Amino acid sequence: MKNKTNWAVTVPIALGSLLILFPLYLAIAVALKSPEELANSILGLPKEFHLENFMRAIEMTNFFQAFQNSAFVTVIAVVFTILTNSMVAYAIARNMDKTFFKSLYYYLISAMFIPFPLIMLPIVKETSALGMNNLFGLSVLYIVYGLSLNIFIYVGYIRSIPRELEEAAIVDGASAWGVFWKVIFPLLSPMNATVGILTCLWAWNDFMLPLIILNDPEMATLPLKQYIFQGQFSTDYNTAFASYLLALSPLVIVYLFAQKWVISGVTKGAIK
Amino acid sequence: MKKLISLMLAALLPASLLAGCSSSESGKVKIEFFQNKPEAKSTFEKLAEKFEKENPTIDVVVSTPPDAETVLKTRIAKNDVPDVIGSGLNATFVELAKNGIFADFSNDPQLQNIQPAYVDMIKNLTGLKEVHGIPYSANANGVLYNKALFKELGLTVPKTWDEFIAVADKIKAAGKIPFYHTYKDSWTTLIPFNALASNLPGDQFFKDRESGKTTFRQAYREVAEKQLKLLEYGTKDNFGKGYSDGNAAFAKGESVMYLQGIWAIPEIKKANPNIEIGTFPFPASNDTAKNKLVSGVDTLLTLSAATQHKEESKKFIDFLLKPENVKFYIDEQKVFSSVKGVTQDDPSVSDLKESFQKGLLVDFADHYIPSAMKVDKIVQGFLQKKDMDEYLKTLDTEWNKVQERK
Amino acid sequence: MSKRNTAFYLMTIPAVLLFFAFHTFPAIQGVYYSLTNWNGFSPTYEFVGFKNYVNIFKDENVLNAYIFTFKYAVLTTILVNALSLIIALGLNAKIKFRNFFRAVYFLPNILSILIVGFIFNYIFGHVIPDVAEKMGIEFLKSNILGNENLAWIGIVIVAVWQSVAFNTILYLAGLQTIPSDLYEAASLDGATKWKEFWTITFPLIAPFFTINMVLAMKNNMNVFDHVVAMTGGGPGRATESIAVLIYQGGFTGGEFAYQSANAVIFLFIIVVLTFIQLKFLQKREMEM
Repeated sequence: MKNKTNWAVTVPIALGSLLILFPLYLAIAVALKSPEELANSILGLPKEFHLENFMRAIEMTNFFQAFQNSAFVTVIAVVFTILTNSMVAYAIARNMDKTFFKSLYYYLISAMFIPFPLIMLPIVKETSALGMNNLFGLSVLYIVYGLSLNIFIYVGYIRSIPRELEEAAIVDGASAWGVFWKVIFPLLSPMNATVGILTCLWAWNDFMLPLIILNDPEMATLPLKQYIFQGQFSTDYNTAFASYLLALSPLVIVYLFAQKWVISGVTKGAIK
Repeated sequence: MKKLISLMLAALLPASLLAGCSSSESGKVKIEFFQNKPEAKSTFEKLAEKFEKENPTIDVVVSTPPDAETVLKTRIAKNDVPDVIGSGLNATFVELAKNGIFADFSNDPQLQNIQPAYVDMIKNLTGLKEVHGIPYSANANGVLYNKALFKELGLTVPKTWDEFIAVADKIKAAGKIPFYHTYKDSWTTLIPFNALASNLPGDQFFKDRESGKTTFRQAYREVAEKQLKLLEYGTKDNFGKGYSDGNAAFAKGESVMYLQGIWAIPEIKKANPNIEIGTFPFPASNDTAKNKLVSGVDTLLTLSAATQHKEESKKFIDFLLKPENVKFYIDEQKVFSSVKGVTQDDPSVSDLKESFQKGLLVDFADHYIPSAMKVDKIVQGFLQKKDMDEYLKTLDTEWNKVQERK
Repeated sequence: MSKRNTAFYLMTIPAVLLFFAFHTFPAIQGVYYSLTNWNGFSPTYEFVGFKNYVNIFKDENVLNAYIFTFKYAVLTTILVNALSLIIALGLNAKIKFRNFFRAVYFLPNILSILIVGFIFNYIFGHVIPDVAEKMGIEFLKSNILGNENLAWIGIVIVAVWQSVAFNTILYLAGLQTIPSDLYEAASLDGATKWKEFWTITFPLIAPFFTINMVLAMKNNMNVFDHVVAMTGGGPGRATESIAVLIYQGGFTGGEFAYQSANAVIFLFIIVVLTFIQLKFLQKREMEM
């Protein structure tokens, strides 16, 4: 049982993964074909690589500008979400016996269930009155709106960390801040990775907030650009799919490195 | 890790800060031209470029966001109305005009150069004395047909509903598809709806409906019957294909006719530059005198009432209205000019000229229907269920509901 | 001790103020607008009391949207949780290329829903009908997204395809918290795999099950992007979710106040639903 490969499980898992990969295969194949080739065979492998589809997509959508905008928003959102949200969660998790913190916990979590359209128009007015209808304001919204879900994730985890670890530091004279940064925060790395990745995915892929918050077309993030150009691509599926792949690729590259982090990080943290 | 992040930040910050700065560069006045036609994006961009060359101190940013009507409404909620706005004459424009969002052009000398029929259309729809925009181009909602296939099958342009159906029957008998319906996109179901509703009950219906003299149930049965009839001449997958699919399929000759507005012509030509397209008015009834062409203001130009750059913005509008620029625009977009003296000579729409000259025009019926009714969804749902009684009942109840909520 | 307390307050208060300013305050404004007749853009509006709420209960379109949303959310939540638990168990077993498969199964989660929607739109609209045409499968020849009775299934398929990834990873994390000696003990006792799952595995990953069910249900109730990317709520109103109705009616329809009232009612339903779910699932967790 120990080191033998379980083929009875491997085969269905492999077949299942084909279901996952098929749409992606299709996207890549379409992006590489010429329109004539696509008309002749939708599913087949491309005979030659029409990389000019990508060049055209880059030119049409001003890809690099949009990439920079998305990257700016995503990096700011991820870094500050991890730093601030974990701290809030720590304060709450360690004071669940106090009414203030307990009600805070439920307040933040129940906010998760507020349908976004209810706050959509008021938030548009508010951000523009504060001069926040730009990439910076967008990042702030991701950090703030992330609180609900992240508190939910962090608090559950922090409560599973034994208090003895902190108590040792407290005996050594550490303040609450010191305990958090030196003892708890490092222990949170698996959750930080998870939260970081969730925030990254959200900020990178979201298009609703950019659509309503940003005015200047030059500030458009990648998904917003995709949406804008959906009409422009018309039935030029080759360029459209090339553009989709370009928009997806930076995250796929990041993911290739980070997926190990998420899985092994979560495991390591969980054992502790 | 921390180092990596700070490095990344350092690399990113200047870029975005620079992007922020470039907009306020050395004394240039930046104005925004917000327009809702994705088809016209590049044409307007070319015109804006020309304008910037003539006026080096003004920088025009053309923005064509997706879901433009929603974006415009949120922009207005922000008190951040774009300087210059290009919009269709539709229910959204009317709502916004009534709320005083746009500047008043009643005394603008430019209006003298515009065909009065279109100026009246604005007045009719808004019900206001002031005119809140200058009509720029006009569209037509008719039937596009493939000239080569018409010749091949020996068909002539139908003038009445019966002739129209006879043509469709002949096409079907020849093993070809008469219409390529694109009803996955709900708005395209409104093309035949408008052609029928504007001609059969007519625009007067809406005034009578409002005063309680009539109902959809009484006046719209013929519209409903004919809508269903057209469905018989479609493809196997009428509800599975969208507007872009339709443009491409019609360009490839997959169907002989195509129920679309002339705004689709540039897109069709993009897919097949060699196609010979003709357009005729949708013959809604058997009385040729009654069959008018459904035509509306495709784009009207207007200013924000609160713009900070009134002078520059007005200058841009005046520039767009210059005959040579209007000509350039309508040549690329295949729409009609509402500026006097500029004519559309493209063969693909020449069959419509007669209607324009004789003034046999009628406005889009759905412009009179409040946008909250979502009539496109009602029509799309009806074409699926094919239940006429339910359809007419829904139109009446939704109309009443929306009035009640006001 | 009190200094520690001050620190805890300092850690939370700024964040909470920001959260209030950018989330709760606008939500309260939304509730306020629901009592007016504001269309979203006019400079003036009037206070109309509960008129909007009364009208909501008379509106068939609202009921229709709830039916679709519940139907969709329940089916998607069940499918996603069942499939991701099975996949997580599979990925946790001794299989070949485990890391590769893990990476593959998580992949959909990093793709934007908008773009996934575009890709599946193409699959439903072109690939499937094309293949069905060649193979002569009649009922697949047309785009299911254009069929009133089937379009919602198309949206469920995309949602499941995409969200299985995230839930699988959470379950996997849960499975890895189970010490392997527990299984060794069980196999010595001669327990079947089935029994092993229900007596060891499931109770131990119950907290993850709670999180997954609650999050999946909440996300699915708010379904929006999939619908916008694939059907726009059509054909007719067949796939119009509550969120889509509120958005489209409130903004393009110019009935901001009316749809705000709808959002307030929706908020109550979601909150109630969640608390029931949490209570029920946490109780089960305790019992186990």
